[in-house]
Amino acid sequence: MAAMEIHFTLNGQPVAVQAEPDEMLLEVLRRELGLRSVRETCGLGICGACTALLNGQPISTCILLAPLAEGCEITTVEGLGGHHPVQRAFEEVQAFQCGYCTPGMILTIKALLEEQPAPDEETIRRALGGNLCRCGCYLKIVQAAQRAAALLAEERRRQPGPGAAPVS
Amino acid sequence: MARPIPAWLAPTSLEEALELRARYGEEATVVAGGTFVGILINQGLLQPAALLTLRQIAELAYLRVEDASASGKPLLRIGAMTTHRALERSPLVQRGWPVLASTFALVASPRVRNQATVGGVLADADYASDPPALLHALGASVVARSPQGQRLISVEELIVGHYETSLRPDELLTEIQVPGGIEGAVYRKFRSRSSEDRPCVAVAAVRREGRLRVTVGAVAERPQYFPEICALAEGQAGIDAELAREIGERYAAAIEPLSDARGSAHYRRRVIAVEVRRALEDLHQQIIATGGGSQRHV
Repeated sequence: MAAMEIHFTLNGQPVAVQAEPDEMLLEVLRRELGLRSVRETCGLGICGACTALLNGQPISTCILLAPLAEGCEITTVEGLGGHHPVQRAFEEVQAFQCGYCTPGMILTIKALLEEQPAPDEETIRRALGGNLCRCGCYLKIVQAAQRAAALLAEERRRQPGPGAAPVS
Repeated sequence: MARPIPAWLAPTSLEEALELRARYGEEATVVAGGTFVGILINQGLLQPAALLTLRQIAELAYLRVEDASASGKPLLRIGAMTTHRALERSPLVQRGWPVLASTFALVASPRVRNQATVGGVLADADYASDPPALLHALGASVVARSPQGQRLISVEELIVGHYETSLRPDELLTEIQVPGGIEGAVYRKFRSRSSEDRPCVAVAAVRREGRLRVTVGAVAERPQYFPEICALAEGQAGIDAELAREIGERYAAAIEPLSDARGSAHYRRRVIAVEVRRALEDLHQQIIATGGGSQRHV
């Protein structure tokens, strides 16, 4: 298929990239934009290693036709800057071994905590149901999600402002 | 020589989409949420000449309840591009059709549900998807539009075989209609592998206006429904344990199950008997809890 230009916002910056219409966003993010946190593993939208946020919601970039990102806001873990409370929680709890699945876990938890600031363990497990960790760090990952919720709550207390109230 | 089709067709209005669909027919693969098409392309199973995306048609994403004047019962109208997540999280759906919200929440993972649409899952007619069996049991219909007009097709008549629908090459599925007046509805998803997997056996059981409708999904090329077996519950206030067992066994005997990675035909047949019985037991409990009325379902 003939390449086309697609436009979206990537981690807060507008980008224009070349893509084939039948190409997946994952390929474009890695090849055209050099992002390595999105990883193809199953290629079926099952494992979560290729997770990115599309308008704030987690999606599988391995099965998202790249042109569908047109006009959308795409966030990868690179866009969180390294000190996001969810990232800090993963470090504190040491919720990883090889780290391969970690970007997808972090983004999924970020989106969950924006919708539900204080989820119970069952809710966390359900939200992470489609993110696989072959090192088997699930207990620590759930703990990291709980720790991230606490860090975010602390942050909200320190910086109250519009939109800071928990949305339940 | 004919001019090649533009590879990416992204109409912004339904009118424009219908015109493109009529012009290119099956030469252009329709993309709704894109999860199914994405997987097929990624796995090398589909090499479309062109893709026709409905993603930019804002008028196709909505959830509305209307009073159907003919029956006096409410009707849920779902725009074809409504995502699974939007349906699952809609207070309107949670209140009026709780079984729809809870069933769509069982599909795959949140990532897939953020992308996948209600129209898409029906148009794919994938035997192993959750929503078709439930929508079939609920007596849902779809609106098929073409430049010539529109027609209403029941889900029962829509899904005709393996990934096959009765949609014509110039038609687009634009709306799903789910009737109200439900006295009880349950969906049981039996998985043989992992929590985010597709069902091995899916059972939807619905009672509306005193009539029972049991649809079994994921076991054959299309949803399985046997009105003559369901008629055994006719005129009964509830469904007692004996009747539940009998209907389960009759369904198991009537269905010719397929074999796949989630279970052999032999295994599925045994599970069908059990899961249909359990679904009817759940339905019975629900009907008792709501006094046979429509507390939870409009």
